[in-house]
Amino acid sequence: MLEGVNRIGLHEWEVPIGYVAGMHVPGKFFLSELLGKTLEQGAIQQLANVATLPGILKNSLAMPDIHWGYGFPIGGVAAFSIDEGVISPGGVGFDINCGVRLLATPLLYKDVAGRRDVIEELFRTVPTGVGAKSTLKVSPGALDDMMVKGAKWAVSAGYGVERDLSRCEDGGFMKTADRRTVSGKAKQRGLSQGGTLGSGNHFLEIQVVREIFNPVAAKAFGLSPGQVCCMIHCGSRGLGHQVCTDHLKNLESATKKYHISIPDRQLACAPIISPEGRSYFSAMAAAANYAWANRQLITHTTRQVLSKIFRIEYEDMPLVYDVAHNVAKMEEHRLDGKYINVCVHRKGATRSFGPGSNDLPQDLTDSGQPVIIPGSMGTSSYVLQGTHIAMERTFGSTCHGAGRIMSRTQAKKNLNGKEIAACLQKEGIIVRAHSENTIADEAPDVYKSSDEVVNVVHEVGISRLVARLSPLGVIKG
Amino acid sequence: MQMSFEEIPHTADIKIRVRAPTLEALFSDTFDSLMQVMYGTNRAGCILREIRIESTNYESLLTDFLSEVLFISEVESLVFSEARIRIDGFHLIAELSGEPFDSVRHSNGSEVKGISYSGLTITHDAKGYMLDIIFDV
Repeated sequence: MLEGVNRIGLHEWEVPIGYVAGMHVPGKFFLSELLGKTLEQGAIQQLANVATLPGILKNSLAMPDIHWGYGFPIGGVAAFSIDEGVISPGGVGFDINCGVRLLATPLLYKDVAGRRDVIEELFRTVPTGVGAKSTLKVSPGALDDMMVKGAKWAVSAGYGVERDLSRCEDGGFMKTADRRTVSGKAKQRGLSQGGTLGSGNHFLEIQVVREIFNPVAAKAFGLSPGQVCCMIHCGSRGLGHQVCTDHLKNLESATKKYHISIPDRQLACAPIISPEGRSYFSAMAAAANYAWANRQLITHTTRQVLSKIFRIEYEDMPLVYDVAHNVAKMEEHRLDGKYINVCVHRKGATRSFGPGSNDLPQDLTDSGQPVIIPGSMGTSSYVLQGTHIAMERTFGSTCHGAGRIMSRTQAKKNLNGKEIAACLQKEGIIVRAHSENTIADEAPDVYKSSDEVVNVVHEVGISRLVARLSPLGVIKG
Repeated sequence: MQMSFEEIPHTADIKIRVRAPTLEALFSDTFDSLMQVMYGTNRAGCILREIRIESTNYESLLTDFLSEVLFISEVESLVFSEARIRIDGFHLIAELSGEPFDSVRHSNGSEVKGISYSGLTITHDAKGYMLDIIFDV
């Protein structure tokens, strides 16, 4: 395994204080032996770097999909004291509130299997890829509402139903958003991209529920074997990217102003209670809300397409849940026997609140929060449930996906997009993308096994398996 | 198109290494790598845009310049093919030429979300300048 880290449990590893100079707390990550074979030293270094930030509580954490990112590692989680801690865009990323949602349908496998026309129609209707513009004309006033009210704006404007909001983390919007902290440039980028998917690892996928692990929770989430679902993975688009770029620059000056020593420029940060910290948090929340509105708009388009093709009712496609996996939140957690407010950064990690959590709608109180984990084009996606163990051990957090193991450079060199698409077609998976390069870039082989990642979080207990879904068709940027 | 830069394997994102005889060429080749990652090699055109940036060091000058390129390219739907760059101290003037985004020719790349500060290094020795940079995709 890796040098300088200690194994402290079957799937649990510690990065001791001293791994890099100035660590305030140890690092801790969850990983199986198998997943450890592809872990980069750079990711451990980044995990240790986070432990040097002021006001960090308990541990710098990473989930089993940990890999080398920028600032925090991907899969990184860290909570900070509100009074003494810092907030950093490096713990959130450029794609603020990149997230994933799952939509249930009344359709069955036999209705959708092999239907290329369905995938083609979704590809035609949902703008995807580099340079794609929205067909929706958003006015500056509507954009302000998107940033303040998030998915709630979309539902009020007719792009969804009221129930959708109770199935989003935070009800689909963060109340701390302040549009005045979002630059004119960011707003300009947001105007033309509402309802667009983007590129890279973002996708819209038609899936079928293949396996149920926990029938009680599956029933509470509205999932049954053979049922067709739709998974949507995207974020805050150019608006969020610009918010990160703008505030990173501002926070870089703040890091010097507040005499904070950081081992990586991408960890630029400011005290949470400072004007610069508050400004970033308010802008980040506005971008997060834009992302929730964006996923809601894509949901609306998807429902319209499926409704038209299969003659099913719009209301019969309920949202299972929507989670954010690149975000910082103010949350209440128990530490040393006391409940305190902390700022939790999740960079490629998913909230995993257990049964009884205040943020859950009443009918999900017993089951815990649905956790949606996307796979890659050819591999399974999973629905899990949040747990008390996550509340105790990881500030209510779990993994977010499979995690890459092969660089894009290698993927383009070793893999052929056309062959991959043909191979997936043989397995009953229809892939539609703008280019063969995209298919090679995002091929199943470039990711860790999502099965192994979710098995680790299940065995550690920071979320529990509920259902496995496999892809039938996917559209990509 | 002659490659003036190379992609270095990086698991999550795109890492680029550029070597150039002058600072201006280093910035120009990095700009070219950004456009190639996003839009591929089939780029031309004569629509002109000018960017002026002032900063406190070369690393920030470069990230601010490339972030501005991302902004203009996205909001104006322009794909750039060339940058003529002048650097005086920490002041940069870039004249970009490009063309409107064409979904047939320019959809072969990956959207770049941001220019990362992590791992950004600019070094200078007798052979010239060398740079490593990571684009978040």
